Amino acid sequence: MTEGRKKRITHNLIAVWSGSLILFLYLPILTVMLASFSKQRYFRFPVPAFDGKWYERAFSSLTVRDLVSTSLSIAVIVALASVVLGFFGALAFARFDWRGRRLYQRLVLLPIFFPQAVLGLALLIWFSSVGIIPDWRTAVIAHMVWIVPIVTLVISIQAYSFDPALEEAAFDLGASRWQTLKEVTLPVLWPGVVSGALFAFLLSWGNFPLSLFTTGADQTVPEWLYAKMVSGYTPLVPTLGALTTTSAALVLILGYGGWVLMRRRQAR
Amino acid sequence: MADPILRLSQLSKRFGQFEAVKGIDLAIQEGEFFTIVGPSGSGKTTLIRMLAGLEEPSDGEILLRGERINETPANRRPTCMVFQSLALFPHRSVGQNIEFPLKMRGVPPVERMNRALDLLRLLRLPEDYYKKQVSQCSGGERQRIALARALAFDPEILFFDEPLSAIDYRLRKTLEKELKDLHRETGKTFVYITHSLEEAMVMSDRIGIMRLGELVQVGAPDEIYSRPANRFVSEFMGEVNVLEVKPNGAGLHCPVLGSTLQGPDGKADFESGYLVIRPEYLRFIAPGETAENTVTGVLYNEYALGSRIQYQVRVGEQVFLVEKLREQRYGGKLDDEVTIGWEARDSVLATE
Amino acid sequence: MTATTEIRATETDKPRHRRERRLHVSPGLLTALPVLIFLALAFAAPLLAVFGYSFMPEGTFDFTFPPTLENYLAVFSGSYYISFAKSLGLALVTVVLLMVICWPIAYGMAKLFGRWANLMTLAIIIPLFVSENIRLFGWVLFLIKGGVFLGGLKAWLGFDGESILYDVPAIVLGLVYVYLPFTLFPMVLGISMVSREVTEAAFDMGASRWQVFREVELPLATPGILIGGLLTFILSLGSLAESKILGGQAVIMIADEIETAFTFGQNWPLGSALSVILILFSGTLVLTLLSWVDLDRILGRGGND
Repeated sequence: MTEGRKKRITHNLIAVWSGSLILFLYLPILTVMLASFSKQRYFRFPVPAFDGKWYERAFSSLTVRDLVSTSLSIAVIVALASVVLGFFGALAFARFDWRGRRLYQRLVLLPIFFPQAVLGLALLIWFSSVGIIPDWRTAVIAHMVWIVPIVTLVISIQAYSFDPALEEAAFDLGASRWQTLKEVTLPVLWPGVVSGALFAFLLSWGNFPLSLFTTGADQTVPEWLYAKMVSGYTPLVPTLGALTTTSAALVLILGYGGWVLMRRRQAR
Repeated sequence: MADPILRLSQLSKRFGQFEAVKGIDLAIQEGEFFTIVGPSGSGKTTLIRMLAGLEEPSDGEILLRGERINETPANRRPTCMVFQSLALFPHRSVGQNIEFPLKMRGVPPVERMNRALDLLRLLRLPEDYYKKQVSQCSGGERQRIALARALAFDPEILFFDEPLSAIDYRLRKTLEKELKDLHRETGKTFVYITHSLEEAMVMSDRIGIMRLGELVQVGAPDEIYSRPANRFVSEFMGEVNVLEVKPNGAGLHCPVLGSTLQGPDGKADFESGYLVIRPEYLRFIAPGETAENTVTGVLYNEYALGSRIQYQVRVGEQVFLVEKLREQRYGGKLDDEVTIGWEARDSVLATE
Repeated sequence: MTATTEIRATETDKPRHRRERRLHVSPGLLTALPVLIFLALAFAAPLLAVFGYSFMPEGTFDFTFPPTLENYLAVFSGSYYISFAKSLGLALVTVVLLMVICWPIAYGMAKLFGRWANLMTLAIIIPLFVSENIRLFGWVLFLIKGGVFLGGLKAWLGFDGESILYDVPAIVLGLVYVYLPFTLFPMVLGISMVSREVTEAAFDMGASRWQVFREVELPLATPGILIGGLLTFILSLGSLAESKILGGQAVIMIADEIETAFTFGQNWPLGSALSVILILFSGTLVLTLLSWVDLDRILGRGGND
């Protein structure tokens, strides 16, 4: 009896603690959302008056348009390029047995655990020493150094559950190597590829430390936000912050929704 | 005998230092159901993968109707394999799975579909399964889908890599019989590998027993059951009594029992060997009865095995298993001193 | 004996089978090449450049000078050790705090929440996709004088307090906040490797709740905990945004020093020397960590063997 009660109390405590953690994680995001609707130039709490004017300004601002188009171009290219590299990278990571595999696995993961600011600076001096002037395109490369390993990992998780016999069966049933890749390997790994692309897009969209040193004269949204946070604060900061957050959430929801729809159509 | 459809000569496969298959010679006849049985690590998987074209032999030859096919890759061989995991494509419907080999060969869609529907009928699957997802099918149904897919392009030989090993006992028993029926119906050559001799016995025309990369015995099921070539084969058949013996003129001396036994007729020119007696050939000897060989020990335990009962009799260090039908069960109780015996012709002498 | 032992003895090792399954020569290396070439050019080469610059004389911008150790001397004779020590200290505090915070949650996710654990995982992952500096800025607005916390206190409770912003506690809060998932998820993985039967067996044999934790759960979950801890430590050590956005200039982290040397200081060799030290330090930790881990087992290949 008492043992059971004690257990129940512990379980409830853990549940409450976990609930508070979720609150803790979303607290600053919610604060930014709240601030974005505040009428005042400087955020105060409780908010004296709400207004949507900063959103209007953000939408009509040419600077914002530039920032978004830079961020978007980088994120889209990073997502596409990372998925192609990551797909083959994942086959080497999880599907095939080869002599250097264990070493390769560790090398590929290394950039993920690397201090991003230092990586950005290292790339900056590398670009300068080989005579490349940094702009948004060098930022694509910088993002990829960090994101390709992540995408490789994401697709690898899918590739681990891949039964090698599927490829052999296709081959045995008369498919060529290329047909096997097209008809079996790629479709079976597709879920991993899609989530890899989604991850890549979102991580590039929100990245700050790598962009900071590698975009040159171009500026991404997170960079601009940071610059304004440090000096020359404008109420557009929470507004644009809230906007990028919402758009990331939208991409996530649309991506997931599209995915579920696709599965359902396939299952029919 | 007619020319064999498949002939292996001195077929070998090495992985680095490890020799998985060691110079196998074998001829498989057209229309035969041939099963290779061996424990895991015996090289049977490597062997069948070489036959299917998924592994290249290190040495020797594979001849299909007299033609060397060593270098022909799997997708160009007129053979097909049913995999252990079945390897059904999860992203395709049942129909698309069955049609896959036809699609790869450029068969037009209508023809493909008709063939797929024919195969569904042949394997007694409802026609509306054509559109069903593989993930929604039961274990037995998947098995049949895999068979249909393998038969789709009308291969000359079907290989099976333990397709029934992951299936529960009762369904396996049904599928074994279905597979044998399918073999009759199609008249194709089936080459099957398994680790279960019991499974092989049910289905095969001939069985090859493999051990450490070599074929130890090849023969019809009856032959292997009654005349196992050596101790390994007889033990592989299931639980048997094995006694180490040395010929001593009067018969076979068994050191562990300290007595001389009578073995089956045959050669006596060997150093030492094993006398193998199946548990069902042993019987309890009542006072007044006799047998050609008898030993006395203690009844230690008994185990009910469905229609039969197995007894453990301890004679010193040696443990004997005796199996009786329920109706012929032993009347006494545990710890009784019992005499058990068998006739010399019921034992098998293995010399290695 | 009715020995089945003989048969068992011939069941040679399983790994053989995997090798037997290989299709052909080395498609592995072939598929690895694109990633390897990319990382060689965009990861290894920049690091080599940094390494090279760290031996160039002060204030130079190419490799044409004879190598010198003066930058390293400058690092060790200057006050940089303070930044190093502070970064190490903050990273350590972060790890310890996260261990304590995460254990009950990780335990709940691995053992108690059942289907809710998936939802929880999702809820924790989603904020990772929001730019780090936006989330940190949210904390600024929350903690600043007149912000959500202090403003709320004052308006509703009439309580006037001082902001913790722009000091060490705020930086620690930021680090804990940003790196929480990196401690939590490996820990969940570690704990879920402790099977229920094992703990039940321990209870059954008379262990108390505490003894089960100390003698069974903790040792079995250790790999996951260590990985998470080390990961968090490495990432916190090289962090930049937390101290800049939440810390004002209260603490200069090592990444700050590196940035300053490269940008304001225009002293690439010095920045490079500082980077090399940080890279060597955290690189050694990462490689140690990765060599402990059986990636195939964690990521799922071990499961189907």
